[in-house]
Amino acid sequence: MNEQLQHISTNELFERLEDPEIKIVDVRPVDAYNGWKLHNEVRGGHMKGARNISAKWMNYIEWIEIIESKEIKPEHTLVVYGYEDEQTDKIARQFLKAGYPDVRVYNGFIDEWSPNTDLPMEYLPNYRQLVPPGWLHDLLLHKPVPGYSNNKFVICHAHYQNRADYEKGHIPGAIDVDTNWLESTETWDRRSPDELKKVFESLGISYDTTVILYGRFSHPTNDDPFPGSSAGQLAAFRCAFIMMYAGVKDVRILNGGMQSWLDEGYEITNEEGKKQPVSDFGSPIPSRPEFAVDLPEAKEILKADDGNLVCMRSWLEYIGEVSGYHYIEKKGRIPGAVFADCGSDAYHMENYRNLDHTTREYQEIEKAWAKVGITPDKHNAFYCGTGWRGSEAFFNAFLMGWPRISVFDGGWFAWSADEINPYETGIPKQLDR
Amino acid sequence: MQINEIQDRIIEEMSARDDLTDKYKYIIDMAKELAMSDEPLRSEENLIKGCQSSVWIKVECKDDKIFLRGDSDSLVTKGMIALLIRIFNNQPAEQILQADLYFIQKAGLSAHLSPSRADGLAAIINHIKTSVKDTMHA
Repeated sequence: MNEQLQHISTNELFERLEDPEIKIVDVRPVDAYNGWKLHNEVRGGHMKGARNISAKWMNYIEWIEIIESKEIKPEHTLVVYGYEDEQTDKIARQFLKAGYPDVRVYNGFIDEWSPNTDLPMEYLPNYRQLVPPGWLHDLLLHKPVPGYSNNKFVICHAHYQNRADYEKGHIPGAIDVDTNWLESTETWDRRSPDELKKVFESLGISYDTTVILYGRFSHPTNDDPFPGSSAGQLAAFRCAFIMMYAGVKDVRILNGGMQSWLDEGYEITNEEGKKQPVSDFGSPIPSRPEFAVDLPEAKEILKADDGNLVCMRSWLEYIGEVSGYHYIEKKGRIPGAVFADCGSDAYHMENYRNLDHTTREYQEIEKAWAKVGITPDKHNAFYCGTGWRGSEAFFNAFLMGWPRISVFDGGWFAWSADEINPYETGIPKQLDR
Repeated sequence: MQINEIQDRIIEEMSARDDLTDKYKYIIDMAKELAMSDEPLRSEENLIKGCQSSVWIKVECKDDKIFLRGDSDSLVTKGMIALLIRIFNNQPAEQILQADLYFIQKAGLSAHLSPSRADGLAAIINHIKTSVKDTMHA
């Protein structure tokens, strides 16, 4: 395994950039790929067309399946680049050993590609709202962090009626936020403006506070009477959506949640974070009412040529095999909704996340959405059963900079509760698998 | 062989594989060896909900012993199922329910499975144990 690795020059790579036989593999962390300058590179983001296969994932036994899922095949020419030559070489050799015979190493990203504006790069438009664990760690140490010039922030450990999840360990300084404080426990919709105002003020959040949310994924299963209690990162997205709707201007998600924090080896604590209430939220609630739609508007979107009601439920919910929830009886789907498959069930979003719970490469999401007509030129209102998965998809679209996005807050719960609303079951012909 | 003896053997076999690619190949070989059956396994009835990959498991009880069959559209997951079948097949239900599956940690799977796949493996084990319990009460 000590044979000489083949290298590729900046010029050759630039010339072959559009060659479909070339697959550029970016082995840097997902956050660098998204746009964060983790090694002081001149331009953040990744080389145009590169696919992200973070070096961290190469420690997973199933890493080859990740490669395959990105349609990178042994017949392709692989170009591997990263931050550190030694790591890049190691990964290139791992590819060779795994049966990818044509692997080249590109070592010019930092010094040649990133500084040269003639060489194309791409990034996730709102990457700053999806923060890496190191950024949050530095913020806690009061070090200057990129993309942040505020003087007040609140870190929220999100959960659903599971304070024990917070008590068993949280990021230092984080306060706990129960989704029940932000959404009604009867309708599961966002709470009223007055209720939200009181909650935010008690948490020390005003419209101009930077809020960083995260949660802990701890294996939700439908055998649990409250599976949502184990889906903390999903709860974080739900809270993020409600805060954005209310008018908090700078809402961020820790990419990968607690898992990413722990993967970096950062400490957690049992010491209660101190809530520092504020006297006034400081802005009318909701300041972004367009982010939420309810039943009447959802019906209008269904009729509109330039609108999509996007179903973020799982396949079995979509075809009416299961309702997805212990507390929803009716099974089926909203006729005319566009199916955007969350993953395995109501508490998982595998199709929108990497295997370590970080947010999936945005071009992959964009490509999957485009296939079913979910495009940025339309008004896309995302929904699920009660709004959690819809909120994560909404946040994905927000990160991508899409201009007209909403959560249909009531989702299947509200739709199915009224008997006059039509519904369908079974496999639609166009989706027969 | 008893459950723990089989686990120890798996730990030994996995430990003999130095790097991750070799461990991966071991899991894939396990998947390939998974017995084929005439009876179709990939049915809605046998599908486990809560796994990213499609997973089918069938648990049967014969002469007070448990027999498992399984399949998946992911080779790694199929390999994991093969390991579980190797451990649980032909064992009394009680012992399966009480089994401490320490091989997952000691064979290095905990350290080298992604969080998402570890979640799937937990769901499969949970499903097997629940099904075994059901066969006892059937």
